[in-house]
Amino acid sequence: MWATTHGEGCRNLIVTGILSVALLAAVSPARAVPSFARQTGMACEVCHTVFPELTHFGRVFKANGYVLSNLKQVRDVSPAKEELLELSQFPPLSIMVQISDTQMKTGVPDLSSAGAPGVAQNGTAGFPQQLSLFYAGKIAPHLGGMIQLTYANDGGTIGIDNTDLRFADEILLPNNGTLTYGLSLNNNPTVQDLWNSTPAWGFPYASSNANVSPLAGTAINGAFAQNVAGLSAYLYWNESLYAEVGGYRSAQQGITNQLTGGAGPLDGTASNVISGLAPYWRLAYEHDWGRNTLEAGVYGFNVKVFPGSASGTPRALSGPINRFNDVAEDVQYQFIGDEHLFTLGGTHIHESMTLDSSFATGVSANPSNTLSTTELQATYYYRRKLGGTVQYFSTTGSTDTLLYPATTPGQPGVITSANGSPDTRGWIAEVNYLPWLNVKVSLQYTWYSKFNGGGSNYDGVGRNAADNDTLYLLLWFAY
Amino acid sequence: MRITKRSREQRSRPNQGRHPAVRLLGAAVLLIAGSGGRADENDAALQLRAETVAITVCGTCHGKTGTNTQPKFPVLAAQNANYLVAQLKAFHAQTRGDPDAIAYMWGMAAELDEPSMTALAEYYSAQKLRARTAVNSSVISTGKDIYEHGIASAGVPACSICHGPDAHGLKDFPRLAGQHAQYILKQLASFQSNMRNVAIMHGVAQHLRVPEMDAVAAYLEAQP
Repeated sequence: MWATTHGEGCRNLIVTGILSVALLAAVSPARAVPSFARQTGMACEVCHTVFPELTHFGRVFKANGYVLSNLKQVRDVSPAKEELLELSQFPPLSIMVQISDTQMKTGVPDLSSAGAPGVAQNGTAGFPQQLSLFYAGKIAPHLGGMIQLTYANDGGTIGIDNTDLRFADEILLPNNGTLTYGLSLNNNPTVQDLWNSTPAWGFPYASSNANVSPLAGTAINGAFAQNVAGLSAYLYWNESLYAEVGGYRSAQQGITNQLTGGAGPLDGTASNVISGLAPYWRLAYEHDWGRNTLEAGVYGFNVKVFPGSASGTPRALSGPINRFNDVAEDVQYQFIGDEHLFTLGGTHIHESMTLDSSFATGVSANPSNTLSTTELQATYYYRRKLGGTVQYFSTTGSTDTLLYPATTPGQPGVITSANGSPDTRGWIAEVNYLPWLNVKVSLQYTWYSKFNGGGSNYDGVGRNAADNDTLYLLLWFAY
Repeated sequence: MRITKRSREQRSRPNQGRHPAVRLLGAAVLLIAGSGGRADENDAALQLRAETVAITVCGTCHGKTGTNTQPKFPVLAAQNANYLVAQLKAFHAQTRGDPDAIAYMWGMAAELDEPSMTALAEYYSAQKLRARTAVNSSVISTGKDIYEHGIASAGVPACSICHGPDAHGLKDFPRLAGQHAQYILKQLASFQSNMRNVAIMHGVAQHLRVPEMDAVAAYLEAQP
């Protein structure tokens, strides 16, 4: 379920050499995990409105390291009463399955017969689209994690998915204040975040991996997911003010050093290798009253990248680099009633690109570019059974005819831009039915009013944005 | 785990003299539930741990000192300790069957032992209830009348008989003064349907109409 939504697709393809298509091998975000429910003894609704959207309690549970447990423990203590071991009697394991069917409004060309191309079969069954195994829960008294191993049908392989290992503890302040402090070791910027208005856990929570994705996306929106190792430190004051700083290094999967055959060091045959440490930062404030919560925050990611072999030709990991500086704002409002649940949210990400390497090697037409994405969504559920979400999404940016290339004569287009613009705009509407809290049936439709810079004939060979509209049916459950 | 009741003085000043500027939570602090009883723990340590758990775990829903703004979750400050222990036992035994009890508290109380329940109950009973803004309306007047006198024609007895004239509770009967009206309404509905199976309250609630429940709940929420 990677390269699936407009956002995820974009993030995979900041096209042609800037961020490598190798990232397509990555898999999907993790979701709600029933092993947390088993560990705490509490139902899904305690931590989720409807999975995977978190409630305030879910955010606190996560910030405290996933360690709250109401299971019997196997314990050990030292003579000084130091806790040496706390093991739950049941391992926190879960399984998650997604089964889907995708129909595009217009099929894509069949490339198998050059010269007289036909049309690929329109309608893709994913059985499964994705199957994941989780270790999600407590590891030690102040150490917990969510580790996801995923089989995805597009790659046909099993790989590491989102991972978030946390150490956390709490300080009691005067007047019964609290200060949670912790560390997160994770492999996807924002996967450690507490709100569903940031990319890793943002809407759409599931989407097709058998549709056409736009060319452009920001670096923080999954472009480095599962191919980095990040360590961040955070403070969470009175369950309201959250501050976090950290940094990411490349930790690519499936890459070997050409000389030694070992898992590293990375060399010029790898793609999009982070130079040094890429800083990540986050500041958010949440106000709770009655059944309402309102969060507003900012976050950012600044990454310097050696393209390596991203454009197809290996290049040494030295010299000019590409730099992506993402600064974003997000907001989320929740009303959680017993019968009616509302969520409003969104995020705006602004990216400044300084493309010294790509410009020098002819991969980009401009030495610098900008890209902005906006996502705004509203969700409603009735008794956590029936509901849906409507989202508006928009990508705008500077025109770059090499970064967002035109169709090569004689080629089929579809994933190209006739005018070199990354602009994409549209809506997603999704209806969900949950017969049980851990089983969801979704019907999702995505409309594109603009795709890769145009509404009609966006690729210069006759394809319209609306041809990429996608109907997606999903059965999604976790146990 | 052992516990003896703290002195009245201690209960009335639960945090006094024991709060350093900040208190670093020890290794086992989060899990009064998960770790169960501890043979090596003295009474003071148990009470301290209970307070810490109340603030850092229970407090997320109930408020750090038992007063919250979320009507889904009951106010626990100044609640009768006996009543709180009885409810925790009912959650632990999975005999209290209203939906929120099942979803939230059956798990939370799963590994609580009796001394821990008592320590938590004492913490909450010693907390001061945050005063609400006084409201006066005809609905509250109606609620006051029902609370104090019942509805003789419908066979509804006065609530004050069991819950006390000031609604502060009596013996094992809970305090209702200052409780969220929405929470009270939900409990009355649970008593009516027997999801929360309490015979005496089922007998009362089945004779109450919705406007009467609304009035009593509004009255009780406004009481100090």
